[in-house]
Amino acid sequence: MSERDDIVFIVDDDERIREALIELLASHGMHALAFKSAGDYFAADKPDRPACLVLDVQLPDINGLDLQGRIAAGNHPPIVFITGYGDIPSSVRAIKHGAVDFLTKPVSDADLMRAIQAALALSKAQRAERAELDILWQRYRALTPRERDVLPLVVSGLLNKQAAAELQISEVTLQVHRRNVMQKMEAASLADLVRIAERLGIEVTHSRRTGGN
Amino acid sequence: MSALPFEHRLTIPVAASIVGIAVSWLVQTPYGLLVPAVSLFLLVSDRAIPLRLLFGASAIGLAIALTLVLTETTANTAASTWSAFFVLVPCLGAIAVSAPRNKSGLSDTDESGVERQAEQTLHKSERYLRQMIDAVPVSIWCAAPDGTPIYRNKRHADATGAILTDMVTDEGYASPLQAMAHPDDFEAAEKVRFRAFTSGTSYVVRYRQIRDDGSYRWTESRAEPLRDEAGTILRWYGVSIDIHDMVVAQEALRDRERELSQLVDMVPVHIRRLTPGGETIFLNKRLVDFIGMDLSELSKRGATGLTEAVKTLIHPDDVSDVQAIIRHSLAAGEPYATKYRLRRADGAFRWVEGRGAPLRDQSGAIVQWYGISIDIHDEVVAQDAVKQSERRFQQMIDAVPVHILSFSAEGEPTYINKRYRDYLGLSIPHYPTLREQQRAIIHPDDFDAMYCTLAKSFQTGEPFLLRYRRRGKDGLYRWTEGRAEPLRDQDGTIVQWYAVSLDIDDEVHAQAALRQSERSLRQLVETLPAMIYCATPDGEPTYRSRQLRDFLGFNVDERHDVEGSRLGGTLDFVVHPDELAAVKRRYAHSLSTGEPYALRHRLRRADGVFRWVETRAAPMRDADGNIVQWNGICLDIEDEVRAQDQLRLAQETLARASQAASLAELSASIAHEVNQPLAAVIFNSNACQRWLKSEPPNLERAQVTVDRIIRDANSAADVVSRIRALFRQSIESRGVAEIKDVVAEARELMAQEAARRSLRLHVQIDDAIPPLEVDRVQVQQVLVNLLRNGMEAMAAHGSGKDLEIRVRHPDDFVRIEVRDHGPGLDPSEKIFEPFVTTKANGMGMGLAICRSIVESHGGRLWVEKNEPRGAVFLFTLPTAAKAAG
Repeated sequence: MSERDDIVFIVDDDERIREALIELLASHGMHALAFKSAGDYFAADKPDRPACLVLDVQLPDINGLDLQGRIAAGNHPPIVFITGYGDIPSSVRAIKHGAVDFLTKPVSDADLMRAIQAALALSKAQRAERAELDILWQRYRALTPRERDVLPLVVSGLLNKQAAAELQISEVTLQVHRRNVMQKMEAASLADLVRIAERLGIEVTHSRRTGGN
Repeated sequence: MSALPFEHRLTIPVAASIVGIAVSWLVQTPYGLLVPAVSLFLLVSDRAIPLRLLFGASAIGLAIALTLVLTETTANTAASTWSAFFVLVPCLGAIAVSAPRNKSGLSDTDESGVERQAEQTLHKSERYLRQMIDAVPVSIWCAAPDGTPIYRNKRHADATGAILTDMVTDEGYASPLQAMAHPDDFEAAEKVRFRAFTSGTSYVVRYRQIRDDGSYRWTESRAEPLRDEAGTILRWYGVSIDIHDMVVAQEALRDRERELSQLVDMVPVHIRRLTPGGETIFLNKRLVDFIGMDLSELSKRGATGLTEAVKTLIHPDDVSDVQAIIRHSLAAGEPYATKYRLRRADGAFRWVEGRGAPLRDQSGAIVQWYGISIDIHDEVVAQDAVKQSERRFQQMIDAVPVHILSFSAEGEPTYINKRYRDYLGLSIPHYPTLREQQRAIIHPDDFDAMYCTLAKSFQTGEPFLLRYRRRGKDGLYRWTEGRAEPLRDQDGTIVQWYAVSLDIDDEVHAQAALRQSERSLRQLVETLPAMIYCATPDGEPTYRSRQLRDFLGFNVDERHDVEGSRLGGTLDFVVHPDELAAVKRRYAHSLSTGEPYALRHRLRRADGVFRWVETRAAPMRDADGNIVQWNGICLDIEDEVRAQDQLRLAQETLARASQAASLAELSASIAHEVNQPLAAVIFNSNACQRWLKSEPPNLERAQVTVDRIIRDANSAADVVSRIRALFRQSIESRGVAEIKDVVAEARELMAQEAARRSLRLHVQIDDAIPPLEVDRVQVQQVLVNLLRNGMEAMAAHGSGKDLEIRVRHPDDFVRIEVRDHGPGLDPSEKIFEPFVTTKANGMGMGLAICRSIVESHGGRLWVEKNEPRGAVFLFTLPTAAKAAG
């Protein structure tokens, strides 16, 4: 088995399931941590690694679906639901809310592993994405306020002089700022910067056509 | 004749008579007797005429008689001599008496020496007589028969002056009276005089006579006529006596007498006079008016004598005393004074003060008794009233159960009432000063404070009030409350201090005992391991025991952040929201009706945790039955409730697990119980496969997984067999049961849920329901299912609060009904079919299972409409007898 850095969280109130799942995952060379209730899961310190959450819907303290709703806000590992009940409304709801999969017990090994793999991959991707975004944000935070003013104007497509006029600075000053922004944000080109801005969610508020407003 | 003094006038005739008689004797001749005869005649000459006449007649008669006698018996010369003598005598006598008198009183002739001598003698006697007449202290006068004044004595002349002279010289005056008498008296006096003069009778007249100095003085004049033998009035002789002083005195006396009499009648006292013997002889007007009888009436009743008078006039109770006193006085001659009740004319008795004093004459003998009585009735009555009131007052002072004393303004004791004296066993003079007296009786520890305060009071005039220990004559100290207040006069100056002291020893000890008892009760309440509280009749909390305070974390007067009543605010805070409404309702009901309160609910502990408590409260009533306080206790029944809950849960679980009330639960049960182990089996199988496939094969782990597979597969099989057993109709589990017990158990299983939904379960079981032969648990299952359905129907639509279970025995079967007030449903058989449900989450197997249970017992299950709304599910079960038969 290769050294894997990912981990599977299991939340199920049935001890047998927990036991069996851990065994199964171990046989696949995966790490797993099991909890018997949502409360225990939340309370535990979880390592910062790509992860996925294998979640039973019928839990003692909180319904698994509700839990999904709860944790949707923050960063959470992708969820694979497993359940003794297999009603359609629940499954639809689960998928809509971003679950990777919704499986009914008894679950075949293949289905389960496929779902877990997908979830882990997703987790990795999310983490990578998040990491990138963090860097971008870091760079953005390094901008001076003036530079932050310049950025949206530039990515809006304003000409330098238009942008300068907007900020009531000289074109030269603007160019200086522009250069700094490009540098700090590590954008290779304007197009790059535009993509970065988009990712950061910076609004395009201006247009060349209207020239400033 | 009239000039001679009288004695002389007698001497001569007597002498002469003796001589004559001697001669007669000697000479033997009667002619010597002539002398005495003549003397006799002369003697009577100035006597009244009738006497003279009589004398003359008798003399003549005698003479004649003698003559006749003598001539009869003897006829001799002696006899003739004697008879001649006897005839001669009267003749001579007549001549003698008829000898004219002359005015000057002088004899007409002066014949012989004898006569002269006689005349001289006569003059002497006349002079003597005149002197006498002038000396006597009366006015003497003489008048002619016609009234002409002839003579008046010196005194007369002195008194009236020259008036008579004038009168004499005047001619033709009517009467001397006219000149002499006061004009007012003249007429009356003159009338008398005139009458007398004309009739020749003597008279007495009083009038005011004029005097020399011109003043008038009362005079009494008496006059008598002098008659000769013939009866003719020779002269009038009169006297006038100055009676002026007497008259004036008499008048004055009369006036005084009148005044006195008036006085006697007018003074506002009763006056009476008694004889020395006690006989009533006079009653003044007032007395007469008072007793309503005058003296005549009194004597008519025979009540003038002392005894009778007293008996008649005086109150019977006073009679003997008064009689004794008066009698003693009369006997001793001493004045008396006594009080008694006098009978008034109207019969009422009035108190009078009677006094009597004797009137003595010069010799000291008692002439009369004067008695007075003064009406003192009102006074007596008033005095009596005062005395009575005084007596009552004194009685009161001595009777009240307090010690009363009084002090002078300087603070020295002036009076101690009897009670206090008896208590102390001493009286005021026992100790010289107040301080010493108090020191002797007041407890040493209290003395200084007490005396200081008392002295200050005396000084400042402030009322004194203090409690201290004091001992009486028995030597024991007792707590006393002393109070003193000053009596002020109009100026505000203190006149006297009045003090009372009350024995409060028993009270003080009782209070102490009470406090002690209170303290120990309070301690008891505080240390009891129970949460106790007290509230006003309105329910406002007034006290919480320590346990309760600790539990709640605050006391009655804390928590000022609540509005409204403390009760309401407190309840809102401490009672669990689910039970709050019920608690408030029940509490309000109890407060208004006075019914004891008992309810189970959750109570918030100081740490915020809710604990189940059973609160019981009962009203405390006074003697009239009015509620004065609510006393309550909260018993922590958390553990009990928990245990009960757990028991019930276990029971429910047991019921459910063993019977599965509905297919929803059943399927959940199946899914869970079967799928879980199956899923685990699959996971374990896959794991086993992988372990075996790995390089090298991990046999150890594979073994573990296989063990688990076997285990889990078996448990899945168990589940299946259990579920199968669920529907097996095992007759062995049926037994005789009372339906009311079964219903009661079902009710208890659902009670908590009902409470949670704020629904009430009413059970109505007819009498005399026979026992049933049933599977108790299955029937319970049916009931529970029906009840839950009903509750869900009502909860969903919030209509009504009551779910009713009724058990009837109309025929051979026992019928059980479950009524709800939910939306109701169309009665049809469809709902009893499997997989038919009106619920959002439901498998629709419940009623199907119920019907199969009921029908397997030999009964029937159906549904009807409930009026006005809702549904009623009914099922019948055969009685034990029926089932057996």
